[in-house]
Formats: sequence, structure tokens, C-alpha cells
Amino acid sequence: MADMTAISIPAEVPRQKAPKPIVPRPIVNVSERHEARVAWMLAAPAMILIVLFIVAPVIAVITLGFTDFELGYSTFKFVGFENYAELFGDRTFRQSLWNTAIYTAIVAPASILLGLGVALLIESETVGRSFFRTAYFLPVASLLVAMATVWQYLLHPTIGPVNSMLAMVGLPGPNWLGSAGTVLYSLSMIGVWQTVGFNMILFLAGLTAIPRDLYSAAEIDGAKSPIDRFFLVTLPMLGPTTVFVTTISIINAVKVFETVKTLTEGGPNKASEVLLFTIYQEGFVYLRVGYASAMTVVFLAVLVVMMFAQYRLVDRKVHY
Amino acid sequence: MKHFAKLLSAAAITMAAAFPAHAETTLTVHYPMPGFFKDVMDKVSKKFMEENPDIKIEFANPSPTYEEGIQTIMRQAGTSEMPDLTFIGLNRLRMADERSIPVDLAPFMAKDKASMAEQGFSDTILKLAQVNGKQVGLAFATSNPIMYYNADLVKAAGGNPDQPPKTWDEVIALGAKIKALGNGVDSVDFRWQGDDWMFSALLFGAGGSMLSEDESKVAFNGPEGQKAFNVLSRLVKEAGMPVFTKAAGEQAFVAGKVGFAFQTTGALANTIKNVGGKFDLRTAEIPLLDPVNGKLPTGGNAVVILTKDEAKQDAAWKFAKFAAGPYGASVVVPGTGYVPNNELAAKSPEYLGDFYAKNPLFQAGLKQMPRMIPWYAFPGSNGVRVTQTIVDNSSRVVDQSAKPEEALDDAAKEVKRLLPRS
Repeated sequence: MADMTAISIPAEVPRQKAPKPIVPRPIVNVSERHEARVAWMLAAPAMILIVLFIVAPVIAVITLGFTDFELGYSTFKFVGFENYAELFGDRTFRQSLWNTAIYTAIVAPASILLGLGVALLIESETVGRSFFRTAYFLPVASLLVAMATVWQYLLHPTIGPVNSMLAMVGLPGPNWLGSAGTVLYSLSMIGVWQTVGFNMILFLAGLTAIPRDLYSAAEIDGAKSPIDRFFLVTLPMLGPTTVFVTTISIINAVKVFETVKTLTEGGPNKASEVLLFTIYQEGFVYLRVGYASAMTVVFLAVLVVMMFAQYRLVDRKVHY
Repeated sequence: MKHFAKLLSAAAITMAAAFPAHAETTLTVHYPMPGFFKDVMDKVSKKFMEENPDIKIEFANPSPTYEEGIQTIMRQAGTSEMPDLTFIGLNRLRMADERSIPVDLAPFMAKDKASMAEQGFSDTILKLAQVNGKQVGLAFATSNPIMYYNADLVKAAGGNPDQPPKTWDEVIALGAKIKALGNGVDSVDFRWQGDDWMFSALLFGAGGSMLSEDESKVAFNGPEGQKAFNVLSRLVKEAGMPVFTKAAGEQAFVAGKVGFAFQTTGALANTIKNVGGKFDLRTAEIPLLDPVNGKLPTGGNAVVILTKDEAKQDAAWKFAKFAAGPYGASVVVPGTGYVPNNELAAKSPEYLGDFYAKNPLFQAGLKQMPRMIPWYAFPGSNGVRVTQTIVDNSSRVVDQSAKPEEALDDAAKEVKRLLPRS
């Protein structure tokens, strides 16, 4: 869903090409009208698809959010804002909103910084570059559900290799996924592991686009240390990439679901309950489609607001 | 192309003329959890078609879980895609019935009365798939909670593996000794996660019930519920049960690092396979807080008829009865560890009589059969959500962040809020 909103913003661009003001000369008028018709015809397939697969479902979800529809019943009635009123008093929803916020606050910055760090290291490496690139990208390419099972074993409180290693150096290993105090951090760790590779690839692409002579110029101008050159050249030149990486990282973090579903089922006692998991439970397990739709609307609204705020704030400081 | 179609239709007409009397009914059957049930379904349907050549069984795409299964059915209900039969989790039957999805089986049973009893459908078994007295299905695969134990660890802790604990006090005492063995060994894994089934095992075992008889009041916070949560709390406090996730508990037990595991008989075949020769795996009846009147919840699923087409319903009833009958049970039990949902299958040497003599691990579930009562399903649109409240509060007891009385009161309060207002 979040992907859709991200896509729908640039997709509106072609529609802004409104018909031009009518020019008095009739011949031009005809040819221009013809041109406009062709333009509409060319744009039509894309527009129909957008309406069919993005606009219509979103409208359907918004409408359902105002009903008491439950899967399996043939009728439903409109209940106004009742679902939204229930949402604000719902302990589970508040908890999952909070948990998602914490998860995002850990995973997004950590995976961006680590991704940048790894990209810089790989960029300066000449021998093993492609090996490291592949190694870091592997978690992105692997199936997260299968990998979650591996994590579940690694983080097992008694027979897991991680806690065995901690025991060897005399440290008591925490109950990573079992205890309410650590479960969100353990999931965040897995989330970072999964996204660093993706961010790294994006940063690598950004890094190769920086002209080499800028570095030489900076050096001549007195930026002797690599750290100076990083802040003077690399970071500003990576501006557009960083905006994109940040956006994608936040969306991905807010969308966390697979690891929660496979590893903890939101437990213990809702300590790892996140937004998409709550929506899934309400809609697909409890079958309360109306209520789940209201949650989805809130979820979409949060994402859209965040994206706009971010573009507004960051856009001003970035040089394209 | 046109020619070809003509040829085909001509051929079809000749065929139809050649075999006029052969009226064939095709039934579409849908089922969840192919990992568990695919082989079972294939075997049962093959045998059924041999015995009933005029009925053909086709399988719809199976759903990976019970939840997804019932979603599929609810989406397809009333459309032409709806299968004729499906298998629904016993705790979801009420939800399906509230949406009038299952066909009432009473008229079919009335016609078949004599043969029903003869084929081992006892009243206790029929009750498992009833909702408010309406027969919505026939129990197909049924399970009850049992005690699995690691005889090697029991022996090492000074216990006698041939005399497994019969009360929770004994489990806790022996568990504490097993925990004291050290070396990463844990005492107990109690499957409180996921749903309210194992809480019911403690509650029903103490003679309690979830709601009052008329379903208007919460009843699980009475003395029986107190005892149930106290056992859970003592397992942690006195026997040192760790906070496992579901998968972590299973892994630790099959790795030989846990003394006792309490969960469904349905997991037996898999547990036997995963343990292999690592240790001496045994099973026993689960301790009951009230050994005289204690009951146990029944897990599993029931075969449900969906088709409203009367011609098909007769064929569907035949298949339902066959699948839930002695032959079906004799296929389900050895492959999974479920207990027979059919008394004839359990006793007759033609079906499973010999199997139990040869496989003592399967006997614990069988011995508990007389205690099985339906897995309670809460009424109303929050029926399923309620169970999560119980799981969440159980987890507060297990991680000791709340006293048992406190957690029980909170659970009761929340459940009261979620029940339909009458």
C-alpha cells in the first residue's frame, strides 16, 4: 500500500498538461485538438490502470472504514466515525503505533548510517569490492520469512549460538525474542541487518556519480584530510540519494510485518505489536474488515503526512 | 477450429448416448494446512471414490492455515467459486455459523440414524461440532492436550520415568530438580502462546468454564481460573519455566533441553520425527486440577457442508460421513498424532486397535478421550479477539510482570467489554 502512495505522486504529473488556451487560427486549432486527443489516448491506458489499481482500492478502503463490515456477512451498514472513535480508545492500536514508531526510529537511522558507512568502505576498497557488495546485498535478496527462521534459532534463549557465545565469555544472554523488554530491539536488529545492504547499493550508485575532479579541487582549496573532503564534497553531492534512501528506509521500517508474524506474533503481551500486524489481525483473523480499513486509512495518512513533511524539510537543503 | 469444435460436440453426443445412465456428481473439497493433511486427504478421497464410483472428488487449492482457510470460504460464500465441502477449525465453527455458512446436518443424520451409531459416531463426538445445539459439521481430526517428557532428564533428576507425575505439584517439584541439573537444561515448556487452548486445558481440568451457562457473564475468573493461573505462575516461580516463544519451546524440547512439554497430541508425529534417537521420548496424560470432574478442550477441525444444491448435498453428506468415519480416522491418527474422532476406529482391530498396542506414545491422547469437551468459542463479532486477551494476560503471568490474580481480573474485565451487550 505504501508503495502505491509513493508511486501515485509522480504519476499525477502527466495530468497537469492541461489543454492549452485556444489559438484563433482554425487550422492550428484543429491540429492542436488532434494532438490533444492523441495525448489523451496515449495517456489513457496508464490513467485507467491507476484508477483501477490505485485510486479505486483506496476509495474502497476509505468507504469500508466507515462501515461495520465483517467478512462473511452479506450486508453492512454505515456507522460514521464509530470505527475511528474506537481506534483512539484501543489499547492495542496505541501500543502498535508506539512500537512502530520506536522500531522506525531505530531501524531507519541505523540502516542509513551503516549503509553509507559500508558504501564508503566498499568504494575505497579495490580488491574485494564485488565480493563485499554481494555479501552485503544477500540479506535483501533472501526470503525474509526463511531468514526469520534462522534468526529464531540464532537468538534462541538456551540453545541459540548467540547466547552460547555470550556464555563463553561469561555474559548472561538475554531472552532476545521472548522477553517484553528486548523483543522490539531484537526485531530492530534483524530489520537493520535486512536493509543495510539495500541502502548500501543506493549509496554506491550515488558515490560513483560524484565527479573525481571535485575531490582534487577540494584538496587544492585546502581540504587536506579525508574527513574534510567527505563533509565538503561527498555528503552534499549525495544529497538527492540521501533523500531517496531516507524515504525508502522509513517506509520500509513502518511496513515491518514478516519478522513479527513469523517470530513473535506480536507478543509477548503486545510488546512487538506493529501497525501492519494489528491490521492483519483485525482484518484477516478477527475478520472485522470495517475496523481494519479504518486502521489502514490512518496508516496511509501517517505515511503520506510523513512523506510530505520530509520532502518539504529536506528539499530546501538539497542541491540537485 | 470450427471443424474441431463440431467434431468434439459430435463425439460428446455419441458418448452421452453410449453411457446414458451414468450420472456423475463432482464435489469440490477445500481444506487447510496441506502440510498436515494433503496425504490424508488424497488417501481418503481415493478410497471414497473406489467405494462410490458415481461421485468424483476434486480438491480446491488448499489454504496454508485455518485462518486463511476460513477467510477463503467467507469470501467465496454465495458465489459459484464456493467449494461444496470444507474443513473448519473447531473453534471457528461458531463464527462460520453466525454467518450462516454451514448446512445444518440434522436432517441427514435423522435419515441415517442406525448407521451413524454403528459407525462409531457417539454423542460426545457429535457434540464437538455443534454450535448451540445445531450440528454444523462432523469432527474430522481431533486432538487433546497431553504431557510430553524427556525420560532421560527425568531419570537424571532422580525421578522414575515409568511413573510420570500425576499432579501439577509433582510436575513442579520434578521440574525444579530438572532445572537444577544445569547445563542449559530447562524444566517445562507450556504452550500458552497463540490461543486460549492450553489455558482452557487448565481451566476445564479444574472443572471451570469460560462463561456462565447462559453466556451472559464471565466465569473464568472464579476459583477454577485462579487455580489455573496459579499453576502457570508456579511453573515459572518454582520450577523455573523460561519465557519461550512457541518455536523456541519446541526446538528446545526436541533438542533434549527441556524436561516436560505440555501441548497438543496433534504435534506427536512431528515430535517423534524431530526427536529421532536423541533421547527417550515419552508421553502421559496431562495432570488435572480436578482429577474427578476435570475436562479437556478438543482441538482440530470438522468437515462442513457448504453447498446449498440439494442434489449435491446427498453426495456431500456421504463424503463427510466417510471422512469423519472409521476409515478417515484410521488414516488421520497415525500420520499426525490426532486422537480418533470415532469410537469404532479406536477400538476395532480392523482400524486402529493394533496400532495403539504397537505405538504406546499415542495412547496418552486416547486415554483422555472421555474427557474431551468442545473448544469453547466466544459469542459475537469479537469472539476471536477475546482469546487474544487471555493469551496476553497469560504472558503477563509467565513473565511475572503481573500477579496471577491481577492478570485474571484484567482478562475478565477486558473480555466483559468485548462480549456482545445483551
